[in-house]
Amino acid sequence: MRWLPAVAPLLGLAGAAVLYWQARGLDQVVSGAQLGPGFWPRLALIGLALACVAKLGSVAASPDAPVRAGSPHVPPIEAEAPLAISGARLTAAIAAILLYVLAAPALGFPLATAAFIAAFLWLCGMRSVRAISAIALVGTVSLLYLFVKLVYLPLPKGDGPFEPLTLALYRFLRIF
Amino acid sequence: MSEILGHLAGGLVNAVQPLNFVMIVAGLTIGIVAGALPGITMLNAIVLVLPFTYLMGIVPALLLMIGVYCGGVFGGSITGILFNIPGDPMNVPTTWEGYRLNRKGQGRYALGLAIMSSAFGGLVSALFLAFLAPPFARFALSFSTVEFFSIVIFGLASVSVLGQSSMVAALISLFAGMFLGTVGTEAQYGVERFAFNVPFLKTGIDFVTVLIGLFAIGEVLDQLAASSPAPAPVSKSSALPRLPLLGLWPLRWPLLRGTAVGIAVGGLAGAGATVSSFVSYGLEKQMSKQPELFGTGHAGGLVASESSVNGSTGGAMIHLLTLGIPGSAATAVMMGAFLIHGIQPGPLLFTKQPVEVYTIISGMILANLLMIALGFVAALSFAALMKVPAPILNTFIVVFCFLGAYALRNDLADVWLTMLFGVLGFFMRRYDLPIPPLVMGIILGPMAEQYFLTSMVANQNDLTVFVTRPVSAVVLLLSAVMVLWPVVTTWRVRRGAARVA
Repeated sequence: MRWLPAVAPLLGLAGAAVLYWQARGLDQVVSGAQLGPGFWPRLALIGLALACVAKLGSVAASPDAPVRAGSPHVPPIEAEAPLAISGARLTAAIAAILLYVLAAPALGFPLATAAFIAAFLWLCGMRSVRAISAIALVGTVSLLYLFVKLVYLPLPKGDGPFEPLTLALYRFLRIF
Repeated sequence: MSEILGHLAGGLVNAVQPLNFVMIVAGLTIGIVAGALPGITMLNAIVLVLPFTYLMGIVPALLLMIGVYCGGVFGGSITGILFNIPGDPMNVPTTWEGYRLNRKGQGRYALGLAIMSSAFGGLVSALFLAFLAPPFARFALSFSTVEFFSIVIFGLASVSVLGQSSMVAALISLFAGMFLGTVGTEAQYGVERFAFNVPFLKTGIDFVTVLIGLFAIGEVLDQLAASSPAPAPVSKSSALPRLPLLGLWPLRWPLLRGTAVGIAVGGLAGAGATVSSFVSYGLEKQMSKQPELFGTGHAGGLVASESSVNGSTGGAMIHLLTLGIPGSAATAVMMGAFLIHGIQPGPLLFTKQPVEVYTIISGMILANLLMIALGFVAALSFAALMKVPAPILNTFIVVFCFLGAYALRNDLADVWLTMLFGVLGFFMRRYDLPIPPLVMGIILGPMAEQYFLTSMVANQNDLTVFVTRPVSAVVLLLSAVMVLWPVVTTWRVRRGAARVA
């Protein structure tokens, strides 16, 4: 897919254009030639757009052989080409992480974390149910001791029935 | 001089107090282990210990972070030399030579060289910080926002030019970071910028969330998305390092050059250990009488890059302590620790809080000495630590990132941002967009804006003030040279290639 390297600069260019348009009203608070709060973001967006255009130009000029700038004295890093992506695993990993953040305020940190650890370990290739359960349990309890008992971090306790559940767990562990 | 020695002696007494000493040792241990574990960078480790420092005083908190910093920049060399897996980008040049030495049966020698040269570089840079930071601070007091703006621009220029990918890709990343730094309520006029009525965006994007997401979560996703596992490391029979105390003498010039480059490059805002290790390796190859041996297991190349990596730590701290400008992402997190404890780093720090400052510097000296012993122990035991299964490691990295981001403001919005930046970090890796320029853009961009606008207000919008003030003019000229140099180099390489064709 020769067009793939052009995706990121195209997105950058489009984003810069939209945001530049958004920035048009920022300087209403200043008068005359004074530089206002819109100057710096516009400068950054112009720079971003120009760099994206330059990237698009280099992709169009030599799509298969990008020229790297930098010190010619340093040898290239040994062949460490990015490994092929497993789309399913990537999607599952991103979904698991986002679900974790989504679930934490609803289920409370302990439950959400234990569930996330178990799910992510499985996703990473671990298949032993005993090992996954033990790591999820010990890991979550250790984190609770560290961050609730020692650091006094007010971690999410959950909504509805999960809040008393979390509090009961804290009392059971003597960290509350 | 005697005043500084007195302060240092006092600082050393404070640094060896039980709590402070334990923090240095703990920090070094965490740093070495984290630096050596691929996927956890020294920066990740500093970010991860940040929540633990909230309840400490500023001195033990900073000593813990300095321990992580000094140990972290060295730690990646161990796995680089033993398994050809550099823990951090900064350890790549060390890996080139160290792993080759290991393959030749000189792994113990390579580990010993790495430990000793790291400790030497770090020690000299800490002494440099102790003796030259105060005059630098006095000099810095004469700086106005014009000079500060130029210095920040120099930092931005050095990062963009020495990014990991092409210059254009680095600039895309840099400008994106600079833009992200403008999100939130603007300080001078109180205008909301690009918040889109989202409450948490009104307070801006905390750069720590960006750091955690881009580096840690992005790396986890990168590893997890790989459809085939990474190649297994080569197992070695013995990891017992041989400390070449006298063996360093023939390598004294690479050692000194590497240390000097480390201090100088580390002292540039925005540069840092990765830049210094590559620059010193390249310089050493240029100066060597046997450049053809580089890449085949050259002790001089290893010593130069390794000493420069730790040499950069003291240089980076000069900016933080004397100007209040983080010279690298790691010192940016340390600056966060200062601010959390209500202390503003900058020119007045040495006069207002000399005890704290010299305790921190003494702690840095002590950390580099202790690193010889701890590096030795780490090299011994690392084979076992490397056996921690990747699934467990990756899972707990994500959980610690959750906690690190949440602990910033007890707000899940920061966790969301962290995770979203993690996804962005993954795609940046895949699209060969370098991450360091974005990070420096989001850190240094708002500083540059503030200094620029203040300078403009103070000088009636006269842009020539940046070139009529001598220090500013020189720094901006150097920035221009740094930006243009790779362009010229690339042009010459292309022209040479065209001639050959």
